[in-house]
Amino acid sequence: MFGAIVIFSVVPLLEIIPKNIFSFSGSDGEDFQPDPRFKMILWLFIAGSRGGPNRAKILNLLLKTPMNAHQISKTLNLDHKTVAHHLKILAKNELIEKAEKTYAAEYQISQIMSRNHNVLKEIMEKIGTK
Amino acid sequence: MVDFMLAAVISAFLNIGLLLVAIATYAQNWRVIRSYYTSGLVLVAALLLIQNIVIVLFWFTLYMDDKALMMSADMIAHYLFAINVIQTIGLSVLVWITRR
Repeated sequence: MFGAIVIFSVVPLLEIIPKNIFSFSGSDGEDFQPDPRFKMILWLFIAGSRGGPNRAKILNLLLKTPMNAHQISKTLNLDHKTVAHHLKILAKNELIEKAEKTYAAEYQISQIMSRNHNVLKEIMEKIGTK
Repeated sequence: MVDFMLAAVISAFLNIGLLLVAIATYAQNWRVIRSYYTSGLVLVAALLLIQNIVIVLFWFTLYMDDKALMMSADMIAHYLFAINVIQTIGLSVLVWITRR
């Protein structure tokens, strides 16, 4: 009797909890909403680190097409060593993935970053042309 | 014997240095990205900086003004030392992450 009361009172409560609250990868499907925790982490990653705006620019570039470090440094007019460092940090934090070949390896956006690309767009709008 | 009060103040100076580094980085990003995230980071770091400046001023007041007050403060100095050292460790990690 008591068990039944507990089940009937808890089940309706579960319905009001958002389905993806415990997942970190953002929601699937057409009605895409960025994961709020990913949004917070990406904002902190870009706003709270040295060279954050350049990291955002690199991510934005890779969102369009995979590129290697040399191509990125040419496009963004940044030092090759700086780009290599940013790419290493971005890959370590699983925002980008490196291709398996060793020479001139291309980098591409990771799945989680691709799913939450709207967050990056929001950041890029704030950066503008600076 | 360890002078906890002196150690606490050295730690507060270290915190001030670390916070200045963090503020410089956050302010650089704020100039490029004007958002409440970047403004918030600058604000939080600035408030922590003020906190540590107040600690140093507190120490100066104790030692310059009142000998009796200094004696009582020495009895609780290890607590102030612990608070500041924990903050120094935390800020060192924060600055390390920020400057990577």
